[in-house]
Amino acid sequence: MRKILFTAALLITLAGAAQAETIKATVNGLVCSFCATGIEKTFKAQPAVANVKVDLENKLVTIDTKSLQGLDDATITKLLTDAGYTVTDIKREK
Amino acid sequence: MKLLTIKIPAIAIVLLPHYAEAKPISYVGGVMAMQENDETGHTLSLDYTLSPNYAVGLYAKEEENGKHFDTIGPQLNTLIKRWNMPDGQANIFNMTGAGDSHYHGSDNFSAWSSILADYESRRVFTSYEIRGMYADHVETSVWQRARVGVAPYLANYDDLNTWFMVQVDDHPAKNQSFVVTPLVRFFYKTALVEAGYSSNHHVMLNWQWQF
Repeated sequence: MRKILFTAALLITLAGAAQAETIKATVNGLVCSFCATGIEKTFKAQPAVANVKVDLENKLVTIDTKSLQGLDDATITKLLTDAGYTVTDIKREK
Repeated sequence: MKLLTIKIPAIAIVLLPHYAEAKPISYVGGVMAMQENDETGHTLSLDYTLSPNYAVGLYAKEEENGKHFDTIGPQLNTLIKRWNMPDGQANIFNMTGAGDSHYHGSDNFSAWSSILADYESRRVFTSYEIRGMYADHVETSVWQRARVGVAPYLANYDDLNTWFMVQVDDHPAKNQSFVVTPLVRFFYKTALVEAGYSSNHHVMLNWQWQF
């Protein structure tokens, strides 16, 4: 019985960790779509990224990740910094 | 001279189907091609962004409306300072290069360096550039360029962006040193095109493409 409960708990934990998520990064300096194309190209080149959307109006970069793959805050911040922008906030939705 | 005259349009034709003055550094790993055709001549540059602060590339220009000569050489673009604000971005760049200036059948060492400062929001654009050029016996000059622009509507990322701009040039080495060029800029995703007509009656047609 203990083994079954342990296995079930492990599976639930793994399923949660592997779930695709939507990440919303608020970015300063996001004013020019021609310049921001670098964001789209950079994130689309990441294996963990399913989709990326840039919203100048709300200064948001929305990243959808693939299931079984994640993207941590440090990586997101580095990619956006390398593209020339300053990250002010990162929120995650599952 | 003739070689560059042929080369610049030829390269431009190859690249044109896919895409002129914007930032000299894009994103890390990004390549940017740019051609400017205006009253000062024809410029072609190709840059590769190495890091958030540095890009390397090739700069070539066929000078007109003054001494007619061609310059080609490698160039280093440096982002000296960037300010990212909630509703705007300001930058200071340096572009420095050295190479060969071909004039009346002779090759001359040349070097150039410029400082470009800009501020941009979704509604307003301003920039100022000062550029020093040394080309041995051909030309030693200092040139200044300023731009102001306004967007008639606030475009989002997936929209066609439109800007109305005025460019003012002061280049004492040219036949007409003070020139005003009203222009319109369009860009969509990775392609940017500018068209204008200068006070000394020259058509401006610039393009830039990121890939």
